[in-house]
Amino acid sequence: MTNILDDYALMSPLRYRNNWLKLAIVLFGLIAGASATSPIPPIFMALCMSFATVALGKAPLKTYFKLLLAPLGFAIVGILIIAFFSGSGPEMLSFKFLGYPLSVKTDGFELALLVLARSISGMCCLYFLALTTPMIELFAVLKAARLPESLIELSMLIYRYIFVFLDMALCIRYAQTVRLGYSNFRRSINSIGMLASTLFIRSWEQGDKLFLAMNSRCYDGKMTLFEVKRPVKATELLLTSAYFISTLALFYFTKNISIV
Amino acid sequence: MIILETRGLKYTYPDGTVAIQDLNIEIKKGKKVAFVGQNGSGKSTLFFLLNGTLKPAEGKVLFHGIPFKYNSKSLREIRKSIGIVFQNSDDQIFAPTVYQDVAFGPANLGYSKERVDTCVQQALEQVGLSRLKDKPPHHLSGGQKKRVAIAGIMAMEPEVIILDEPLSNLDPVGADEIMDLLNEFNQFGSTIIISTHDVDLAYRWSDYVFLLSNSKIIGQGTPAEVFKDSELLKKTGLRQPTTLEIYHEIERRGLASGGNSPKTIPDLVNTLKPIDLIWVDVPPGIKEGDSLNLGVMYGQYATQSPYEAVNATVLHIHPDGRAIVELKRKGIKAGGVLIYDTDNYSLPEVKQILKEGEIVFVGAMGKKSKTLAEHDGIRLDISSGVIDKTILTALCGKRCLILTAGGMVDHALKRIKEYVETSGIEFTVGVVNREEGSQWIGETEDSPETLKV
Repeated sequence: MTNILDDYALMSPLRYRNNWLKLAIVLFGLIAGASATSPIPPIFMALCMSFATVALGKAPLKTYFKLLLAPLGFAIVGILIIAFFSGSGPEMLSFKFLGYPLSVKTDGFELALLVLARSISGMCCLYFLALTTPMIELFAVLKAARLPESLIELSMLIYRYIFVFLDMALCIRYAQTVRLGYSNFRRSINSIGMLASTLFIRSWEQGDKLFLAMNSRCYDGKMTLFEVKRPVKATELLLTSAYFISTLALFYFTKNISIV
Repeated sequence: MIILETRGLKYTYPDGTVAIQDLNIEIKKGKKVAFVGQNGSGKSTLFFLLNGTLKPAEGKVLFHGIPFKYNSKSLREIRKSIGIVFQNSDDQIFAPTVYQDVAFGPANLGYSKERVDTCVQQALEQVGLSRLKDKPPHHLSGGQKKRVAIAGIMAMEPEVIILDEPLSNLDPVGADEIMDLLNEFNQFGSTIIISTHDVDLAYRWSDYVFLLSNSKIIGQGTPAEVFKDSELLKKTGLRQPTTLEIYHEIERRGLASGGNSPKTIPDLVNTLKPIDLIWVDVPPGIKEGDSLNLGVMYGQYATQSPYEAVNATVLHIHPDGRAIVELKRKGIKAGGVLIYDTDNYSLPEVKQILKEGEIVFVGAMGKKSKTLAEHDGIRLDISSGVIDKTILTALCGKRCLILTAGGMVDHALKRIKEYVETSGIEFTVGVVNREEGSQWIGETEDSPETLKV
């Protein structure tokens, strides 16, 4: 079976909390993280968000780290470049690499640390959203955001059929694999082509069937979205404000601190 | 009363294939109807015609005697009253969550939010899926998806429910649950139409059968009539139902009699005649062919129930005063079946019944009752084919309890009473925790074991 982030979100206990509260937390995290001037508040936020995702949201720890690892790779390459090629001030470290002098300057190092901290906090915030809020909860948010109804209806149908077609595609691929469809490169290309064309035709047919199914239940051109009311509880509000206030306080106190 | 009717119906696909030819059928209200035929015999097309999705080339479809008008307003009315459940649930379920999908129909009928919510909750409870209402469909099993599809139709409260191959791709327990559900809806007055190529199912379940072959109706009638005709079945490419086939084979060997076609295993068992020829001493003056009252037998001499009245027909008299007689047994008192309505459920009461009623066999019908039993640790001996198995157990002189709810109570009561009436073997049956019908019927004063609950 494939691992889909949405599946973790569907099983998370935080799924049943107010969506707007979660969105507010994430949005606050992103803005605060991006405008931080010292690496300390973003690191604090990343820790809080990770705790919320893993301990409260019950996302498996191992998966969570694996997920973090992928974007972290990009971030590390980026900050290496920043550390070596930007900034001024006293040199912290210098060596020769293939005859070229390379050096890390204090400013550059500070900047690199800040960028790393910002990107980690951003990632943690987004993963918090992705791992605790499944797509089906977000349709109501889209509706409240006044997106066109037809767009929301379409996205609801698309969401459902992603999984139908994913299943179909996996079945077809399995059927091809057991008959050696992927035994060499040429055959793989051929098989992929067949898979794609079959999927296209099937989705066309599925469209017809969908229309029939909707019609036979009196479809009149409008699909009503039923929102579930999830009021914000006092404890949630308290916890969130504690998080906001401590972040802001940290923000204020670390304003002029330099690490190195 | 005829609820749905077609006259001279004909339908041709755009590519020229004839799908339905000159079809005249009448479906009565409140019946369980099965269309039986091979794949490609036109069942699915017929269903789309019956719900107004397809427009016939010739002829007409009548609902309550009024012909379909194919304008959007009357089509809406028809689709509200005639719900259709597709063969493949994935084709039917399109909303991102179970709740949203079931709410789709009622919302389209323009109900208020509160009313939609009641409809959905009720439908989900009936199919036993209330717990899964926030799940996306791709997290459900095949049987659960089928039940969501049925709930989506039930929520619109249709008069007629059409199901295309309702049991395809379901395991036996899942299939049994779906059939239980359909029986329950039927008990509440819905007309149920299914298509199937499973002759056993059609024979056992339906009140009326249509045989379809090559886009034509080639036979119709009660299941007993239709499936008796093996020539007709051969023409449709179908075989006889297993129970009927077994019955014919043992009847031919003189091991069974009864004439009317047995539908269920208890019916079949009931047709078995033990040709018990035994030697007895006869008083003088008895001639061959006379009948002899041998009194009441019990213990090892009673084969069908604890106490049997035995009459014998004298077949041959030996010169030494002994005679060969054929026994005719009639059970006086077999076991009993108690039905417990789990709508008014209390665990202590069930425990008391189990203990004081000397219940040795417990079954549950319906998702709700099964979940209850599982939750409270009531050991279930059986959870599928419940009615048949309890009848068989009661015949062996044991006391059984069926836990069930709602319309299933009446359904079970009716089925078992019918059996008692047709077989002539009496055993007690009744509903425990209900105002009416809580008495043990057939309980007599001289009964050796009186049951008090």
